[in-house]
This record gives sequence, structure tokens and C-alpha cells, in this order.
Amino acid sequence: MNKFAVPLFATLAAVGIAVSVYLVFFVAPLEYSYNEAGTFNGSSLFFNQKIFYFHVGHAFWLFGAVFVSGLSSIGFLSTRDPRWDDVASASTDVAVAFGAVVLLTGSIWGKAAWDVWWQWEPRLTMSLLLWLVLVGYVLVRKFAGPSADRIAAGMAIFGMVGVPFIYKMVGQSSHPAAGSQGVVATLPPGERGSFWISVASFLCWYLALVISRVQSTRAERELRELRERGLDLGVLQ
Amino acid sequence: MTLLMKMMKWTNGIARWGVVFVLVLVTFAGVALAQPAPGSTPAGDPAGSTAAAPADSTRATPGTSTTSPTAPTSPADGDARKACTTAMNADPKFAADMIATLHDIERTADPKLAAEIIATVHDMDTIKVHTDAMAHVQKNEQHVIYAYAAMWIVAALFVIFLWRRQQALQAEIATLRRDLEAAADEATADKARS
Repeated sequence: MNKFAVPLFATLAAVGIAVSVYLVFFVAPLEYSYNEAGTFNGSSLFFNQKIFYFHVGHAFWLFGAVFVSGLSSIGFLSTRDPRWDDVASASTDVAVAFGAVVLLTGSIWGKAAWDVWWQWEPRLTMSLLLWLVLVGYVLVRKFAGPSADRIAAGMAIFGMVGVPFIYKMVGQSSHPAAGSQGVVATLPPGERGSFWISVASFLCWYLALVISRVQSTRAERELRELRERGLDLGVLQ
Repeated sequence: MTLLMKMMKWTNGIARWGVVFVLVLVTFAGVALAQPAPGSTPAGDPAGSTAAAPADSTRATPGTSTTSPTAPTSPADGDARKACTTAMNADPKFAADMIATLHDIERTADPKLAAEIIATVHDMDTIKVHTDAMAHVQKNEQHVIYAYAAMWIVAALFVIFLWRRQQALQAEIATLRRDLEAAADEATADKARS
């Protein structure tokens, strides 16, 4: 893997996040919505809507990371090529971090908008379960012994299958809707640029983290293999 | 001729009495027209309603308001009410003076009118509470700061995790290199001995 990939994506992410922070706070208008009587309705978020740009940006790449992890795990289980496993492991680590951001910022948004930190509704519960599956993946890889990679690969596929259900459930309750009639698809022009720049910045951030993690995972694996070979040959003790 | 003279005197009398009669009619009509119709607005009052009373009464001496406590009927009522509300919102001292004036009216002149206007002022207090709450929601930065802090803390923790893994990897590489060098040295020594 090119050694310039991580610095390149990290720089792009830093610049993109700085630009999107500027756009979100100084260019994008406050979110207002009116009812038929011409007064603000209950869904107006005003300044709190600024959370949206980063909450949804992280949610996009959480789902992306889970898909990368699941597909890489399928590749690993079908070919037994450890390079697939490196990608799956790295992507899951990043997905755990992104999932934590999504759950935390979503909870804070819920408190600001609906005055509740958490609701045990299907979508939120499924999101939490997905995150717990990802945390389980990390723990299995660390503590499950020689077959950890295969068990973890099965968990990654299980997590990937859950993503479409969460996507479908978004909008079934108090959460803003997703899909063609959802919030992202119907963003006002003033908010659209800020949102997509933020999404692109978090993609660069995700790539920088994943590539960095893949490089270190691969180096760890090669080191482990060299040590085992040295022990087998009697060079190392 | 005599008959003619008599007829002329008679008609003159009728004409005289007719003139008197017409004058009486005109007088009555004038008096009648000068009287305000029941429920109508007094002439020269542009606002023409109780809604104008607050603004006017603050400028008058307490207890000298002359407006009648009739219900608002014209489109100007709403404008006058809005103008009054705006003036009160713009200047808290004006609003306080007006309330004091209204209490004077209540004690002296027109209790019903004063009670009605004081109730409106209390409604405005309620509206102000709601307006302040809405302004608080609009400018609420607390939750946005929490969310951004959470995002950056998670990102920082993940970068620290990556950095520590990297440090551990470098330490492991150093150990392996040391072991290899030791093994190489041992092999060289074995060769030299043999």
C-alpha cells in the first residue's frame, strides 16, 4: 500500500473538516420549519440542527465501514487470504469509533430536540445492537484464540446484514426520515453543500484511519509470522 | 276685492306658520343629526375603540380618559392593538407607566375597561415568556458543544489507540531485531569455535 495514502487522506480530511465547520456554522442557515398557521412547529431544531452534519456524516461511513468489513470477511472466508482479514479487522475498528460518535451525537440531538437521551425504539435498539456486535468482533479477535479470525468474520457478516434493517427503520419513529423522501434527499440548497462536503471529509477521515490500521495490522501479522518461523528454525528462543 | 284681501292675509298667515314649522323641523333635524347614534364611534376619534385607550391614556392625566368601553368593531382595532403591543415591547418603562395608569383608571373612572386592558397586558407577559423560551431554543449552543466534544474525544481516543499500537509494534520489532542479532552473534561464535 502506498506510503503516501495515509498522509494524503489525513490532510484532505483535516482541510475538509475545517471547511465544513466553517460552512456549517457561518454559511448554512438555521433550520426552521413552519406549520400551516405560520408558526414554528415542533420539529424546528434551530441551532441544534448543526449536529446533523456530523451525526449523519459519521452514520454514512459507519454503514460503509460495516459493509467493507462484511464483504472483506466474505472474501477471507472464501479464499482464506489473510489480507482480506486485515481489511475487515481495520474497518471494524474504525466502525466501532464511528458508531460511538453516531450513538453519542444522536443521543445529544435527541435530548436537544425531543428532551430525551434515549428511547427503546426498534431503530435505536438496532443501532446499539450493531455497535455491540462490532465491539464483540474486536473482543473475539483479541481473546478467542487460534480460530478468532473465522469467528470474527462470521460476526462481521452478521453485522452487515443488519444495516439495511436499521436504514429501513430510520424514519419509522421520532427520528427524521431516510430515503428518497428523507431529510438528506430534501435538504434545502443552502444546507446541501455543507452537508456533502462534511460527508466527503469524513470519507477521507475513514480512509486515512482504515489504511493506517491495515498497515499496522499487516505489519503485526508479518512480524508474528517471522517470529514463528524463527522459533521453528531454532534461530529465536 | 275684500275677499281677495282676506285670502291674501290667510295665505300670509299660512306661509308665516309654514316658515316657523320648517324652521322647527330643521332645528330638530340638526339636533338629531348632532347626536351620536347608539354604539357608534365619537367623531374625530381615529382609532375609535377601546384598543386606543392604552396609548391615549398614558399621555393623559390619570383618570381623564374619555374613550368609551365599547367592543372593537373596525379593522383599525387590530392595527391599534398591534401598535400598542409593539410600543410596550419596545419600551418596558412605557409598559410599566401604562399599567400604573390603568390601575388609576380602575380605581377612579372605568373599572371594566381597565380590567380588560390589564388582562391583555398579562397575556403579553405570557407571550413574552414563550418568546424568550423560543429564543433560548434558537440560540441553544450547549447540546451542539456536547456533540462536537463527543466527536472529537472519540476521534482523539482512536488516534491514541492507533499510536499506542504503533508504539507496541515498534517495540516488538526492536525485540525481534535484538533476538536476531543475538542469534547471529551466537552462530558466528559457534563457527569461530569450530
